[in-house]
This record gives sequence, structure tokens and C-alpha cells, in this order.
Amino acid sequence: MIGIEHYIVVSSILFVLGVLGIFLNRKNVIVILMAIELILLSVNINFVAFSAFLNDLVGQVFAMLVLTVAAGEAAIGLAILVIYYRSRGTIAVDDANRMKG
Amino acid sequence: MELTSSLGLIAPEILLSVAGLFLLLVAAWAGDRASSAISIAACVVLGAAFFLVAPSVCAGAAGLETVAFGGQFRADAFAGFAKLMIYAAAGAALVVAPAFFTRYAAMRAEYPVLVLFGTLGMSIMVSATDLLTLYIGLEMQSLAAYVLAAFLRPDQRSAEAGLKYFVLGALASGILLFGASLLYGFTGTTQFELMRVAMAGPISTGTLFGIVFVLAGLAFKISAVPFHMWTPDVYEGAPTPVTQFFATAPKVAAIALTARVALDAFGTHADAWRQVVIFAALASIVVGALGAIGQTNIKRLLAYSSINNVGFILIGLAAATPQGASAMLVYLVIYVAMSVGSFVAVLMLRDEDGAPVERLADLAGLSRTKPALAFCLAAMMFSLAGIPPLFGFWGKFVVFQAAVQADLVALAAIGIAASVIGAFYYIKVVKVMYFDEAVNVVRDRSDWAHWALLIISTALMSPLGYLLTGPLSVLADRAAASLFFLV
Amino acid sequence: MVATEYLLGYLPILIFLGVALALSALFVFLPIGVSRITGSHRPDTAKLSEYESGFPAFESPRSQFDVRFYLVAILFIIFDLEAAFLFPWAVSLEFTGWPGWITMMVFLAELAIGFAYAWKKGALEWE
Repeated sequence: MIGIEHYIVVSSILFVLGVLGIFLNRKNVIVILMAIELILLSVNINFVAFSAFLNDLVGQVFAMLVLTVAAGEAAIGLAILVIYYRSRGTIAVDDANRMKG
Repeated sequence: MELTSSLGLIAPEILLSVAGLFLLLVAAWAGDRASSAISIAACVVLGAAFFLVAPSVCAGAAGLETVAFGGQFRADAFAGFAKLMIYAAAGAALVVAPAFFTRYAAMRAEYPVLVLFGTLGMSIMVSATDLLTLYIGLEMQSLAAYVLAAFLRPDQRSAEAGLKYFVLGALASGILLFGASLLYGFTGTTQFELMRVAMAGPISTGTLFGIVFVLAGLAFKISAVPFHMWTPDVYEGAPTPVTQFFATAPKVAAIALTARVALDAFGTHADAWRQVVIFAALASIVVGALGAIGQTNIKRLLAYSSINNVGFILIGLAAATPQGASAMLVYLVIYVAMSVGSFVAVLMLRDEDGAPVERLADLAGLSRTKPALAFCLAAMMFSLAGIPPLFGFWGKFVVFQAAVQADLVALAAIGIAASVIGAFYYIKVVKVMYFDEAVNVVRDRSDWAHWALLIISTALMSPLGYLLTGPLSVLADRAAASLFFLV
Repeated sequence: MVATEYLLGYLPILIFLGVALALSALFVFLPIGVSRITGSHRPDTAKLSEYESGFPAFESPRSQFDVRFYLVAILFIIFDLEAAFLFPWAVSLEFTGWPGWITMMVFLAELAIGFAYAWKKGALEWE
């Protein structure tokens, strides 16, 4: 029997993977965007699972809002990335070091 | 009818969104030629929203009649107080922008529209009493802010600031959201009121985890240590008017939101989050003070200064009393005025080509070449340091007073000691301006709008500001009382 | 007393986080480790060069492709996902009534304004 704990464990694993993806990745900013999506989707698993578990619709509404906001966030992230690429000619994470201190 | 009264309560937000959408269309059809007209229109809209909110602040609106949409939104005096600061700060960011961007031929018609949408998001944030509204407001503000940070497209530093802000901001939203999902799962609701009721009694691990994650996400947004690492880079890289905006309006919104979440939703478990807030407060004060010492860029220095100030504001939150919340609001008013003043002064530092001057070394001897500007900047620095005759001292005083009244004497003592360290780098700036060999880099003259903002904020920070302590504390007390009014 | 209760309360969280961290670390490092153990790790130029149907690669596989693809994809995602709100709204319209209908029309109008902006700015033109 699959209980609520299993969902929480899966979503926690995805969440930690997403966070690790942001911090361990040194190559490509696109991977960071994917890691952010992973985090948001892990949250969605939580919301939908809790919503079914609690028999309450708010969680599903929340999940839908998260989905749309995630799309907006990805759009803005890509747009900023394009600007960054045009001014620098690279999207490697290690090269984002124009400012130090 | 419930819907009609709800719509009445969100009148300022409706005004902002309708105006924002309309100006967006104007921006698309009229193009960048209309950018100054759109800026003026946006200022007028912010002014109108200001006057729509002002009555509820003066009346100290609280209780059931301020609740809209079945408990998702609350237009009480606390939210109103924060909104007044946000609208004023956003207006200031609009006023200073054209002069800066015109030099790069980058004054685009979308700037005021983005500021309006960001302000709308903040307005929703401070009124949010439900995790859904909280998230929508926060994201609306953040998405506008990411674009604003990267607004100066030809500048590499601006693009990098936008990218860094986006990545870390999105991570913060993700962390906050994960906490929100846990809170929803373990309390069975997203509304702050019901959440507080559901949390009564012994706290479950899931809830505790949710509280910690939500607070961590919010700490990111207010750039409290240990989640401050993005602040110096973003403040340095973003165009200066945008930095001024970031240092004022979103900070007010995020702090007000944190206060509402902590005191309302987590109100029954103050002991659970107080340690976290006290740690963040002390760490912010110390890291802000120490980090600023070696800086050579003025914007970076002001970034550390804002981290330092957030620490003092969090001391007010740690008190978890109406006095603490009121002290926080008073400190925020003073902080906003000081930040606007300092950044306007930085914007006025330009060499003979009109290029912005950002290095501390270029300020040397400013008192000889530009005495009035140097005097105002020095007043800001002394005020930020909290040196008594200036108004900045009052903010620190009320915060420490609230902490002592809440039996947090040790916290107040450490805070006072750390503010002495902080005074060092503010005074260093003054020393460079008044006692170093003049380099005469700053040449350009500024327009009247900059001078007006600078003079207003200097006057507020001067001892004249103490005339305001009476009305300010009355309004802040009422606002804090409305926050503690349990529906 | 309260403090120890809290500490005890943290224990499941700690285990929970530990398990999550361990499992996710496993996913990341296991494939690397397995390939290190099973295959001999001796990289040389021939092995590291990318393989393209027997020929040496003509160009970098990371060559930039047109930014217009991004633009179209972004616009598609945004407008597509907003449509997701229409389905629950449509099936629950009998409960929400006129206020629900008007609210959705306001939402669609806002979307239309965004669309008009994108159109006017030339985001929809390929050439």
C-alpha cells in the first residue's frame, strides 16, 4: 500500500536533487533552469499528494498556480539567459564572475 | 455582498493592475518615445494608490471588515502602512530613472510598467493571509525584479546580476514553496488563521520543517544572513535606480510579509521560530558590518549596509510583541528614507562625461568640490551608523527598546555592540569625502528631481525628523495592533 | 524539557533528510562509480572525441541555434499553461456563477493584452 509518506520521500528526493543540481553544476546555466523546474515539480507532487490525502481541493489549485508560475519563471529565466549570452558569448556558470568581493 | 466589499478592499491593487496593463499597451504602441510620459503616469498612479491606502492607515483599520475573499487577503492598517512605504519608494525609483538610463539610450517604456507590476506584487504580498496569495504576490514581485536587474542590456554586469538574482531568487521561491507544501499537508489548510489554530498544541515535525523552510525562503528575499550571498553582486550589477528600488520597496514588502507569517500563521509557536530569527538578526548585523569594511564600490558597500539594517529590523521581529512590530515599522520608515537618500546621492556622482562614479576612492575630497552633496551624503552615513543627533538613531533605539521589553536583553546588548563595529565603515566614507586629497572626479550637475529627493531625505534624517516621532509611533502602534488583531 | 522535546522532534527530520540526501547522492554518483569500476578508466583522444556516423564531427554539437526558437517556445508555454485554468473553471461554472464567469473573462482579457503586446513588439513574426 502506497501511503502519503512515500510521496513525501519521493518529493524530498526530487527537491534535494534539484538543490544539488543548482549548487554542484558548474557547466551550463540551462541545467540550473532544469534544476529549478525539478524543485517546483517536487513541490507539486507534495501538493497533489496532500490534496488527495486530505480530501481537500486547495492543494490541486495551488499545484496549478505553481505550474503556471513555473512557466513564467522559465520564460523570464531563458530571456535573461539570452541577454547574458549575447553580452558574454558563454553560458558557463564558472564564467559568471564579473563581480567579486 | 462579500464579493463587492472584497473588491472595495483591493481597490489600490485593482488600480495598479489596470494602470499597469494600460500603460503596457501604451508602451507597445507609442514606443520608447513615450517613456517619460509613461513614467509620469506611473507616478500619478502610485500617488493615487497612496491616497487610497492612507485612510485605512490613519484609522488603524483592523478586524473582520478588513478581510477580503474569505480570508485570503487582509487590507488592515499593517498592510496599509507597508504599502505607503512601498508606493513612495517605487515612486522615488521612477523619478531617478530617466536621468540614469538616458545616458545609455536605454530608457525604455517598459521600465515604469515593470516597476508598477512589481509594486502590485508587493502590495499583494503585504496583504496576503493565505499561502496562495503569498506565493502569487511574491512571484509577481520577483519576476518583475529579475527583469529590472538585467534591464541595462548592453552592460555585462547588469546581465550577470539579472542571472544571479534569477537563479538564487528562484531557488528561494522553491524552498519557500516546499515549506508551504509541507505546512499545507501537516495543517490541512493554507490560510494563516486556520493554520495557527491547527498548530495549537504540540508541534509536529512536518510542521516544524515547513516553518523552517518558509522562513529560509523569506530570509532569502529579505537578504538576511545566511541567505545574503546574492545581495552584493546584484546590488553592484543592477542599474543604480533599480538597486535603489531593490534596497527599499521589495525589502519592506518581504519584511512585512515575514512579520505577518511569523506572528500570524506561526503565532502560537513563537518559541519555534524565535531562535532562527535571533540567529539571522545577529548574523546579519555582524556579517553586514564586517563585509562592508573592505569594499571599494559604493553600491556594494550599501548592499552590506542593507544586510546590516535587516539584522536590526529582525531584532524587532524577534521580540514577537506589538511593540516589536511597531518598532520594526518605525525602523523601516527610517531605513527607506536613508536608503533612498544614499542611493540618490550615489546617482548624483557623475564625472564630466556624465558616466556614473561608483568607486569609493573617487569620492576623495568631495567636500571641497561638491560641498552640498558631500554634506547630504555624510548626513546619510552618520544616520545609517545610528549616531545620536540624527534620526537613524531613533530607529535603532525603538528596536532595542522593544527587545529589552520582551526580555531579550542579551540580544539588544549584542546588537548595540555590533552597531559600533558598523559605524566604522560609514565613518570611513565620511573620512574619504572630508579628509582625503581631492581627486575632483565628480563633475556633472544633477537635475532638480535628484536634489529634491536628496534634500527631503536629508531633512528627514536631520534632527528635524524627531518632530515626526509622535505621529509616526501612533500610526505604527495602530498598524502593529491590527497585525495582532485575531479574527 | 521543551528543548529536548524539540531535539527529539528533529530526529525524524534528520533521518528523513539524510535518506533523501543519501538517495539523491546515490542517483548522482552511482552511475559514475559503476562505470569507473566496470570499465577501465583510460580516456584518450579517440575516446573523448564525439562520434558522428564514422566521421569526425563537422562542427560543435553545442552550436547556437536561432533565438527565435526560444521565443516561440516561451510564448507557447505561457499561453498553453494559462489554458489549463479553463478546464476546472468550465466544469465548476455552475457553482461559481456569474462572478466566476466575469473573473475568467477578466483573466482572458489580461491574457489578450499580453498577447497584443507580444504581437505589437513583433515577437510572433518569424522574419
